[in-house]
Amino acid sequence: MDAFTLSLWVLRLAFVGLLYLFFVFLARALWRDLRTTITETGRALGRLIVVGSPGGVPPEGLSVPLDAVTSLGRDVNNSIVVEDDFASADHAVLTFRGRAWYVEDRGSTNGTYLNGQRVENVAPMGFGDELQVGRVRFRLERVAPGA
Amino acid sequence: MTLGATLRRVRVRPRMRIRELVLLASVSMALVVGWASLASHVAGSLTLGRQFSHLVLYLGAVFAVHLAFVVAGRRTDQLLLPVIALLGGLSLLLMERLPQGLATQDMGGVELGLASLQLLWLGVAMLLVAAIAIGVRSDGWLRYYKYTWAAVGVGLLLLVFVLGEETNGARLSLRIGPLQGQPSELLKVILVVFLAGYLADNRTLLAQASTRFGPIKLPPVPYLLPMVAMWGIALAVVIFQRDLGAALLFFSIFLTLLYVATRRASYVVLGGLLFVGGSSVLYFVFGHVQDRVDIWIDPFVDPLDRGFQIIRALYAFGRGGIVGTGLGAGLPQVGESLAIPAVHTDFVFTALSEELGLLGGFVILGLYLVIAERGLRIAAAADDDFRALLAAGLTLVIVLQAAIIAGGNLRVFPLTGITLPFISYGGSSLLANAIVIGLLLALSDRGPERLAAPSAGRRRGFRAGMRAVGGRIEKVIS
Repeated sequence: MDAFTLSLWVLRLAFVGLLYLFFVFLARALWRDLRTTITETGRALGRLIVVGSPGGVPPEGLSVPLDAVTSLGRDVNNSIVVEDDFASADHAVLTFRGRAWYVEDRGSTNGTYLNGQRVENVAPMGFGDELQVGRVRFRLERVAPGA
Repeated sequence: MTLGATLRRVRVRPRMRIRELVLLASVSMALVVGWASLASHVAGSLTLGRQFSHLVLYLGAVFAVHLAFVVAGRRTDQLLLPVIALLGGLSLLLMERLPQGLATQDMGGVELGLASLQLLWLGVAMLLVAAIAIGVRSDGWLRYYKYTWAAVGVGLLLLVFVLGEETNGARLSLRIGPLQGQPSELLKVILVVFLAGYLADNRTLLAQASTRFGPIKLPPVPYLLPMVAMWGIALAVVIFQRDLGAALLFFSIFLTLLYVATRRASYVVLGGLLFVGGSSVLYFVFGHVQDRVDIWIDPFVDPLDRGFQIIRALYAFGRGGIVGTGLGAGLPQVGESLAIPAVHTDFVFTALSEELGLLGGFVILGLYLVIAERGLRIAAAADDDFRALLAAGLTLVIVLQAAIIAGGNLRVFPLTGITLPFISYGGSSLLANAIVIGLLLALSDRGPERLAAPSAGRRRGFRAGMRAVGGRIEKVIS
């Protein structure tokens, strides 16, 4: 077998080998994604960060992990108690339905605002959106993978 | 306005995509070695070949797309681009290797051969992927005008039926000036958009059975009707155009999406029965269907005529063995005649499996599996039903197509002539699949942006006009 035939063989096998190397990289990426998905399930679906709070309750910078149904208002039975003169007792409720967050106004006196717009009934809420209950402002955030 | 200001205005922040870069580097390495293997075999000495610039151009286009993604800074999927880059690269290798006279086109006095044409289309496809993946930030234009899209699709088909040209007994292509295209490639994307839109709106109603039909529960008839009508029109026209592969694909997409939306196995069983019934009728009515099934059952009955193609393909698989004959050493071509007719469109899987062997065949099938995994993951992570169904349907378009044609090549199913996504020669197929991947990438970005319903009167000019027209069409049809 001369050198040229040999190198042709090497090239051929190297090509197939490199194709499989690419697959190894792919498989690693897929596996890593799968693992993060597994650890993601069972974690909080999102969290609310208090961006502005003139009254101090809840304090600014507080981060609250959210359940699938989270109620906000001045009444102590709410998941998040908003101690603000402009908030109603049962002010608003956040729900996670299927794949997205929704905010619903529960007939509050001064209204619930999503990104500065008054929520009429129910409004879909995305991560990064700003919610205002009374004078207290929240931001909805995704719980980062690995956090 | 300077570039920086423009970027700030659309709130773009570059984002590194390390994973994609590593995978692309590995793809390029493999393709360069493959290219050297092919060129050395053809030339008889170690060389990269005279046509190496083709590969450089192709990889340049791929990396340009990567760079565009980095600059755009969207959090899109990082595995899909490397996968289609490898599929396209394998396509380019194969087209370079086949006789260039299989497809020629005169472009401004320059005669382009098979590989050059495929390179051109691959470039356009990459551009399309990038444009859609970066540019599509709202799916409203797909979601709210589903009936319009359905009408466009049916219109396209009818246009082909009236004005189309026949190739191999199938009336598929439409010629506009120098450009020739196969609208049925685009139609499958449109079908998915329509089905996703319709099912997302009506899935709860469809999932509740209210009409009893013997032992089978069916959803309320009025809600099923538009869907069945759409499917029926598409199927009928496709059958009259004798494009069996597309018919099979449409039907599979329809059934699978119906199942995904309603999670009811009875629909799939019912659909399967309908399919068996329909196919047996077709078998007795249409000669070409009968031909296909007969040579599938035993190609050796008529080895020199009807069974010739499939027998040649089987021999090619056999010749390839486990590691293959090596690029350029297979026999897709004997002298001046093709060993397998239509090797550059329908039998690309066979040709590559011959030269890369069983191991190479596994790689190709594995790549489609990765597309399936990514697509279904995007669907599972989607924000709402429409996006989930759309992502699942688009994934199905590519994966089912690959399964149907690879199975046909291997004589697992009767052979139906459709393309192997991203590998087969052909502009229409490449562009349609590029739209699919582009949309999947766009859907994979789960940004905080919410998509607003079209609001009347807020925007003026052309877009508002289009919306008004679309809205009116929607009302008329629904």
